[in-house]
Amino acid sequence: MKKYLAIFLLLIVGFYLIQAFNLVPFGANRVGNIDDESTVGAYYLKNTVPKTSVANVVTAIVVNYRGFDTLGEVTVLFLATTGLGSILFRKRKHGEEEERVLKESSQLVKIGSRLLFPFIALLGIYVFIHGHLTPGGGFQGGAIIATGFLLMLVAYKNYKLGHGALTWIESLAGITFAGIGIWGLITGGTFLENNAFPGLGNVNDLISGGVIPIIYIAVGFKVAAELTGVLDILLSIKPNKN
Amino acid sequence: MVISPVHYIAVPLLAAFTIPLFAKIHKELTRIIPGIVLIYLTYVSYVLMSKVMTTGPIVEIIAGWKAPWGINLVYNGFSGFIASLMSIMGLLIWIYSYKFKKVDDEPALKFYILFLMMVAGSIGITITGDVFNMFVFLEIVGITSYSLTAFYRGRDGAEAAFKYLLIGSFASVFLLLGILLLYTHVGTLNMAQIAERMHTIPTSVKLSIFVMFAVALGIEAEMFPLNGWAPDAYSQAPGPVGAAFSGIVVKAGVYALIRIIFTLFDIEGSLQFLIVMGLITMIIAEVSAIRQTNLKRMLAYSSIGQMGVVLIGFGIGTTEAIFAAIFLMFNHAIIKGLLFLSGSFLVYNDDKKQIASLSRFGKKLPVVSFLFALGAFAIVGFPPFAGFWSKLYLLLAAADKNLIFLIAIILMVSVVEVIYYLRVVGKLYFGKEESKIEPKKPAFNSLIVMLILGAIIILVGVYPDVITGFIHNAADTLSDKATYISNVLPSL
Repeated sequence: MKKYLAIFLLLIVGFYLIQAFNLVPFGANRVGNIDDESTVGAYYLKNTVPKTSVANVVTAIVVNYRGFDTLGEVTVLFLATTGLGSILFRKRKHGEEEERVLKESSQLVKIGSRLLFPFIALLGIYVFIHGHLTPGGGFQGGAIIATGFLLMLVAYKNYKLGHGALTWIESLAGITFAGIGIWGLITGGTFLENNAFPGLGNVNDLISGGVIPIIYIAVGFKVAAELTGVLDILLSIKPNKN
Repeated sequence: MVISPVHYIAVPLLAAFTIPLFAKIHKELTRIIPGIVLIYLTYVSYVLMSKVMTTGPIVEIIAGWKAPWGINLVYNGFSGFIASLMSIMGLLIWIYSYKFKKVDDEPALKFYILFLMMVAGSIGITITGDVFNMFVFLEIVGITSYSLTAFYRGRDGAEAAFKYLLIGSFASVFLLLGILLLYTHVGTLNMAQIAERMHTIPTSVKLSIFVMFAVALGIEAEMFPLNGWAPDAYSQAPGPVGAAFSGIVVKAGVYALIRIIFTLFDIEGSLQFLIVMGLITMIIAEVSAIRQTNLKRMLAYSSIGQMGVVLIGFGIGTTEAIFAAIFLMFNHAIIKGLLFLSGSFLVYNDDKKQIASLSRFGKKLPVVSFLFALGAFAIVGFPPFAGFWSKLYLLLAAADKNLIFLIAIILMVSVVEVIYYLRVVGKLYFGKEESKIEPKKPAFNSLIVMLILGAIIILVGVYPDVITGFIHNAADTLSDKATYISNVLPSL
């Protein structure tokens, strides 16, 4: 009885949700006239290139206009890693080796992963360094690098990650992001203001857009380190024997 | 560098990223740095609040983009008051928990990073002027709350945290869907501009958006029937975290819900909706509370019930009622904080946290028991404690609008409240036989915090004028929507 009631209620909620979303026409132009500027979307499309010298408008929105949100999202990831570390921590007895849940994989997988890993890492780095020019950016690049590490973790049962290095990368990248933000305050502007460099450079140059590429590179490092850390924590728990 | 509202977010974030490096120098720094940051935040609150009281609201833009193009923070009488309350409660709970934990190994030190970010995230929800930014801070608060709930790594803690995680993710998804739908119709994320354009949205869509926001924020605000996570989370989380949930996290949820209803939407009947939901929440929670044998669960249900009363206060909608509701929020933070902090010492050595095990603790732990009794008397609204005034003002405001039925129900529920709190206090002092459980003696720092909270309760009770000035200002700012919009968007 309870189950049917729940399904019935869900259907009602679903019906109204679909109705509400149906009123949004599919594929229609929601931005409006670019010169009108009544929506923020139109403003971004019109002003991003002249005001920030960033070719990729999405990057400008993510890192500059709404950089505060991005800082928050990076923190969410950081806190998730921290929380996982504290919940899943297991006291190791003296001399006990860390063990992974995965089994040893075949020679083919091992060699193949080793061959692929540098290229995956290179692609990830390329994606986040060119975040302000081409599609992609810090989050995407970082995730690509983390998949490379996942491949290594899967292939090699005893693949060791330098935890100290991960912590350093994570913290330094975070400090860079928050520090650039505070630098804006110190120099008399607002938090995260794009004023650290005198000029913004030319559109489509690798060095352009002021602090935007620097923040995205920091985000890339941070995301890569954090996702790798999460994978490592999750893979190296031994299931309870008793 | 001039002190501005963004310090509430920037400084804790920088500290949180730096702490793992400081931990390499000395482990103790992981504990100390969050405290220094919280002291700084309290100082920031002091500076900004005095500025708000003399010169009016502070609107800060981020990244150099004016509203509505960028994100902005709005620090006015209401948000400033709640943010200051949160930072002070955060500081007190940090002092209290300095040596509280049962586990003392290395990851336990991460407790303080998570705690600091939970406070900062809650403040972020309060001071932001942008709906998507609010979502981001809600995520921060969510992630930290889940991990803090599961902190003791027992099975029950994991279960409670998992339940919280499921419901909390539900809240995030609904909020995101609501924001998405809202954005497709108004083309902006800035709260003031949304409020201004709200009338252009068709009513059916507006209602859908409202329901999505109300569900998402109702979960954080412990509104019935979305509060299933609360009793488990409160009873399984470490004591200080329970106090932080009721004093900080839930306040952020209520604040967000109220901000959405009062500033963003102009739906007719949303205030009645608040009254009805508040009534149901209050009645069900208080009736459940009386049946609890576990002290922390009882406090959790009582906390939910109090949030119901707060929602009723906002729902009545007159400035006096809003004043009473904000006063109640303040009182609930300090009193429930004291109850949780002293209660967790009372049941510290009892794994089941039974009320029955408290028998005659009045002799063994005289100060803690006394403070718990003080908190219990204050929360049910006995004069001359702080809780009395807020309840009185609420009833007066209800009487002004001739809501006799409402008054009757609130009073009846208060009787229920009196019964279950006095039952515990009676057990503490007049229990039949002495409990076999040896209580844990409170540490010096914890005792100081509890004494401070007790002193505040008596001070506000005897001399409410110390706080009413701020609350009057807060109530006035909340009910004045036009000023909010013109503060954020001066050109329109």
